[in-house]
Amino acid sequence: MKRAKTEELKTFFESLSDKYDLRVPVKLHDGTRVLGSLSEGEFAIEGGKIPQKPTSVFFPQFDEMFVVTDGDVAMAKPPAKPIMVVGMTAEDLDCLEFIDKFFAENFRDNIYYNKRDGSVVVGVSGRCGKDGEFMKIAGGKCDIELISDGECFIVHPYTDKGEGLVEKLQADECGCGGVHMEALRKESDALPKEDEETVDKASELIRQGKVTDEFWDEIATRCIACTSCNLACPTCTCFEVYDRERDGKMVRQRIWDSCQLDGFMREASGHNPSGKQLQRTRRRIHHKLAADVERWGHRTCMLCGRCDEVCPTEIGIKSVCREIVKRFS
Amino acid sequence: MTNSISCVEQTGCILLIGSNTTEQHPLIGTRIINAVKKGMKLIVADNRKIRLAEIADMHIRLENGTNVAFLNGLMHVIIKEGLADDEYVKTRTENYDELKAIVEEYTPERTAEICKITPEEVVNAARMYSAPEAAMIVYCMGITQHSHGVDNVKSCANLAMLTGNVGKAGTGVNPLRGQNNVQGACDMGALPNVYTGYQKVVDEASRAVFEKAWGVENLPGNVGLTVTTAINAACDGQLKALFVLGENPMMSDPDQHHVKTGLENLDFLVVQDIFPTPTTALADVVLPAACYAEKDGTFTSTERRVQRVRKACDPPGKARQDWEIVGDIAKRMGYDGLTYNSPEEIMDEITRVTPIYGGMQYDRIDQVGLQWPCPDREHPGTPFLHKGTFKRGLGLFGPASYMPPMELPDEEYPFLLATGRCYFHFHTGTMTRRTRLLDREERFPYVEINLDDAKRLGIYDRFPVMVSTRRGEVKALARVSDVVVPGHLFMTFHFEEAAANALTNNALDPVAKIPEYKVCAAQVRRAS
Repeated sequence: MKRAKTEELKTFFESLSDKYDLRVPVKLHDGTRVLGSLSEGEFAIEGGKIPQKPTSVFFPQFDEMFVVTDGDVAMAKPPAKPIMVVGMTAEDLDCLEFIDKFFAENFRDNIYYNKRDGSVVVGVSGRCGKDGEFMKIAGGKCDIELISDGECFIVHPYTDKGEGLVEKLQADECGCGGVHMEALRKESDALPKEDEETVDKASELIRQGKVTDEFWDEIATRCIACTSCNLACPTCTCFEVYDRERDGKMVRQRIWDSCQLDGFMREASGHNPSGKQLQRTRRRIHHKLAADVERWGHRTCMLCGRCDEVCPTEIGIKSVCREIVKRFS
Repeated sequence: MTNSISCVEQTGCILLIGSNTTEQHPLIGTRIINAVKKGMKLIVADNRKIRLAEIADMHIRLENGTNVAFLNGLMHVIIKEGLADDEYVKTRTENYDELKAIVEEYTPERTAEICKITPEEVVNAARMYSAPEAAMIVYCMGITQHSHGVDNVKSCANLAMLTGNVGKAGTGVNPLRGQNNVQGACDMGALPNVYTGYQKVVDEASRAVFEKAWGVENLPGNVGLTVTTAINAACDGQLKALFVLGENPMMSDPDQHHVKTGLENLDFLVVQDIFPTPTTALADVVLPAACYAEKDGTFTSTERRVQRVRKACDPPGKARQDWEIVGDIAKRMGYDGLTYNSPEEIMDEITRVTPIYGGMQYDRIDQVGLQWPCPDREHPGTPFLHKGTFKRGLGLFGPASYMPPMELPDEEYPFLLATGRCYFHFHTGTMTRRTRLLDREERFPYVEINLDDAKRLGIYDRFPVMVSTRRGEVKALARVSDVVVPGHLFMTFHFEEAAANALTNNALDPVAKIPEYKVCAAQVRRAS
């Protein structure tokens, strides 16, 4: 396998920008890391997960569904260049795997798959997390994984497409016969599993009906309905559809929605099955830790931690799970 | 704010008066919630059952418009029980005797009677606020939007000084500003009586500074009109032309009929805004402006922090930067001095003529903003004001006596109507009502009414009602709950189709000329 320096990776991605719509981690002027093109900021592959949900490259906040002009309907088309997204963590790749499944269930969501089909996904892991902390190795679920050993990145292709691309990468072979990689894998396996255990335990307690409404009421009192948890969550897939008329065209768009809003489930009559903050707060957690377990066979919180980081009142999913385990187990 | 937002984490008690913080300043509201969790005491003095009231140590539902009596009542108890900071009063303040004489009359019993609360609430709140080493007063429009708003503010300052709570961390008199850059607008002299940095136009030395900087002579030394008095002057025919930038007085000023009369009476109305509004509809000329995401510059936050804002995208169509539009108009009127190449060049001029902004050059506020006063490039900014000494030397107690609001409920209009904002819309809704999910959240104009009143009048939740005052009548949906006390109504002014300001009273504070949005007499009935 090849072992590439950060600068070599940058050159590699730059060389692909003609063929792909590149979304790589870049640092903006104010220090924020976002997914963007290399012209938007300094290449910043190190530093852990991107604060914004990376699944937004395939399921953006606003998306055009179709345009009607004089009665003619033009459906949304695939992008001119396929998307190449770089910098997904192991948890992000779990999220992507789930939303791939979600958008293919019952019917194939073309607006999502227009972008997802033909795309290239590059994961990142190893010793390049925030403040140098070790990030879990995904070991698949992407075309290429960049595994940091603290100095360079071992470039691990998992798909034919990935292999084809890596051939073009100008970097030395690792040359250690897999010893190096094996050590990193062991380090990954030895990472603490506290969050996973806590969230699984909380999921079990919720499903056993042990978490009371008094508890949810208490958590709900702290919710300020900013909707950041939903906007940051890579497995939140709810959207609202609306039409906009401009310059004689009617554009149907979809926009991320939030189950933390009163209007999310309000009926035309005004009746609202989720009309209280308690119900909305409970729903947010129930959905991912109980309802989805029934429906998909697994929870749909992949422990990325974004909701915990953005929540101004510390009621992200991990924080709430810790409180659930403390009080009800 | 005299102090910083972070002071919420350094205080022992917050007296929150007339601020629905979680809805209007949610990030500060969040800090308050977290501080309460860590043991900080919270007194909410607000008629409405706001979110913070649910976690407060005390929720005092004083009658709207009785803040002076309430604050005087607290001071009465503090003086009587020896809870004042005598050393501070002696060394840092003046006019204490007059304060003492005035608050003497405000016994807990008398205060309770005026405010429609209990004497115990007055005593307990006084003890709770004065107990910790550092206590903050945090207020908002519930204090200022009264015909005696200035008295309310002075009374807050009196209470803070009496207990030694000015000039150190975790204390202060802290108004929360209601718009992203209203602090900056005031700092820049967008007021009728001052140049930038509150340098008075009546002061010859100040005028000389600006005459020199701008290369002009004889700058006028008289104070101009405030927003509200300008509309009055337009109605009287005294004001002939008006240039409105980023305001929607048809929705935001009191007594809409009066505002419309005034604006229609003008010879010439220019409105500069980012979207069409009921005010642009009356304009002779509309100038399209860039919005916040389309401009470079600075915004100054509620804690006096001057922060950089960077352009994210180009303005649409013919929309332009405010400073370019104003500069071009000046040029066509024969003055080239308002022509600049960039916002940074403007900031450089600001730093040259504004002592409190003296050290705020762009390179110093590139990542993190600075809090004024920041007089020079070496100055680190000022997290709290009045440390060691007040700007005027000694802190002046400005005692006030309780004055009732200008219009109180009577037989014909038996309800007290207060207006304000809700969480999901901003101000006159120019932006948020065009935002799909926010408008979905609050789609219809509503009026909050207490359960008992609703029952008595046969009004049900979400049923249409007519709300009327001596100025006008609007139709809204009833929101029946215990958020408001019996006898009170609350409406937001976001909705063009039922403008709350068609109802409000154009009664002004004699000094600040702020209108009495928080109290007028109204009537409510089922819409037939």
